[in-house]
Amino acid sequence: MKKSLFTVLCLLVIAAFLLPACKPAATPTAEPTTAVEPPTAVPVEPTEEPSAVPTEEEPCLIIGAIYVGPVNDAGYNQAMHDGLMEVKENIACVDLLEAENVFEGPDAERVMENMIAEGATLIFPTSFGHQEPAFNVSENHPDVIFEHAGGWMMSGNFANFYGKPPETWYLMGVAAGMMTETDKLGFVAAMPLGWTLTFVNAFELGAQSVNPEAETIVTFTGSWSDRAKEAAATDALINQGVDVVTMHVDSPATVIQTAETRGVYSIGFQSLAAQQYAPEFWITGAGFTFGPLMTGFAQSVIEGTWEPAFIRCGVADGCMAVAPYGPKVPDAVKAKVDEVLAQLTAGTLVIFQGPLVDQDGALRVAEGEVLAEEELGNTDWFVKGVIGQPQ
Amino acid sequence: MSVLSILGVISSAIFSGASLLYATLGEILDERAGVVDLGLEGVMLVSAATGFGVTVRTGNPYLGVLAAMLAGGLMNLLFAYLVVARRANQLASGLALMFFGFGMSALIGRPYVGSRINGLPRYSLPGLSDLPPLISSQFRFDLLIYLALPTAILIAWLLFRTRWGLGLRAVGENPNAAFAAGRDPRWIRYQALFLGGALAGLGAAHLSIAWTMTWGEYMTAGRGFIAVALVIFSKWHPLRAVAGALLFGGAVAFQLLLQASGIPISPFLLDTIPYVLTLLVLIAWGGTRKHAAPASLGRVYLGAEQ
Repeated sequence: MKKSLFTVLCLLVIAAFLLPACKPAATPTAEPTTAVEPPTAVPVEPTEEPSAVPTEEEPCLIIGAIYVGPVNDAGYNQAMHDGLMEVKENIACVDLLEAENVFEGPDAERVMENMIAEGATLIFPTSFGHQEPAFNVSENHPDVIFEHAGGWMMSGNFANFYGKPPETWYLMGVAAGMMTETDKLGFVAAMPLGWTLTFVNAFELGAQSVNPEAETIVTFTGSWSDRAKEAAATDALINQGVDVVTMHVDSPATVIQTAETRGVYSIGFQSLAAQQYAPEFWITGAGFTFGPLMTGFAQSVIEGTWEPAFIRCGVADGCMAVAPYGPKVPDAVKAKVDEVLAQLTAGTLVIFQGPLVDQDGALRVAEGEVLAEEELGNTDWFVKGVIGQPQ
Repeated sequence: MSVLSILGVISSAIFSGASLLYATLGEILDERAGVVDLGLEGVMLVSAATGFGVTVRTGNPYLGVLAAMLAGGLMNLLFAYLVVARRANQLASGLALMFFGFGMSALIGRPYVGSRINGLPRYSLPGLSDLPPLISSQFRFDLLIYLALPTAILIAWLLFRTRWGLGLRAVGENPNAAFAAGRDPRWIRYQALFLGGALAGLGAAHLSIAWTMTWGEYMTAGRGFIAVALVIFSKWHPLRAVAGALLFGGAVAFQLLLQASGIPISPFLLDTIPYVLTLLVLIAWGGTRKHAAPASLGRVYLGAEQ
């Protein structure tokens, strides 16, 4: 009796789990419906089915986009997704195919091939690791246009665009350097990669420009999404006297919330949505706002005028934005950030302008020289004033 | 390194130790009944996602904790059906359960990525609220942390001081003998696995609802496996698991403190400290017969009728 009861019970459990599991989590047509947890009020992407729209005719353009993570992560993927949603708003006849959690490998090629089979003629591979799979696919489909984010590869139908994160990190450093009272800034990073180190350097240089005493303490968690370790790292930094915390990990949520509970300032990165986690101690953040640029891409593809161009565009071009300030930020800080932004835009201020000295006092960039743009991705040293291990 | 940072390591050890302790206690129950649950990581992930989702939807973190416990228990019941009723290999089923948990939790948690919750409320330790806020803010703990130690004592009492615990341990040592003594090894293993899963769910709930207050895929980052190792480390005893969980949580916090203090050691090397500690303890304690594993651990119970 007991045994048969359990057999039935277990079969029920299995059925309950397997039913929703049959639906793939990341397909171009993904609808987040599950039997276990029905969809919620959380903003989720509208699907590409133009059911209610009375446009019976063919869409003027089908855009395919692949993301490495979920599009509601309040981080990079959400920033990219928001950009494409803006394209859809601006050009009503565009259809959008989206795939989340696409691994950076052969999986990505398959997903993009599927999208092309569905009629997509403009593809946005949004993650850095999607570059090579996307390039492979682009060689087989010369009539399909690829706009990859954050890479360098170019061809007749493959181009690259991105923001200018070092510029925004410098601005964040200016704000942090003015807000700190202990002159210690904290940076929770995932891995010591070239770009991450460049971000830290730009942040510290920005802070030094307004506060020569400012130090940036870096801790690496060794993972892009070990939330518990991010919380512990934030605590460790705060206990070292840090009173402004920022991060370069997948989702800013844990670091910002931990800082908020400890009563410490925070600065966000990647998506402007990060502000929601810190109603009180938020300073500001930098985020990608690619909507206008992406709209331009879509428009030119529709008109047949698209040309491959290597694009890096910053705050002044509307590709990145400084998030609204928190309630504790005085006007002097806002004014200073605006002033520095104007200088950066005008070119009167260059971030990695020599002389630059590293942690050990060695001269890395000589007086009168500027660190080359292509070096920024390969940085393996910290500027003086950063505390942490760059390797 | 200031006093504040040393206190910080202690506080951080308690925070990260709590989830490890619950998971380890759960695995101790499973293994004392003779079942190795390598799927613990997957169980924790599903619990963390479910608990977080329920918290988002209801706005009540305590309901989230309950949901996480239930999800953990159900996941382990699924496992129990495989290894008890279907007599499947425990290690293979456990790994399958883990991978199932990876995918399942991603699916359950998908709508809640980036959602914001009010986590479990934190209460100051009595007498500490007068200290400077930087210190006292570290010693504000949630209910699950305050309950962790009593839970360990409760599990120890259940295992070693009650008839139920005696039966459970007997099943882990020799199910045939337990059957001869009038116990039903299968029924007992179902009970142990359900409770063990619920405890792992508590640990996961602490991770997602109380401490980090977010859900992210694979957010347990190996804590389920560490808990399996901690069971061996604590020699299948709930009270030693407390020390193990604290030591392990402390080691992680300590390596972050070394980084934050600017001590020039590679963070990747520092990352191995907790595991090196575990290995050292295993080497030092290993092989003593008295505390060896339950005799029937990992063996399929074929039933008395065979």
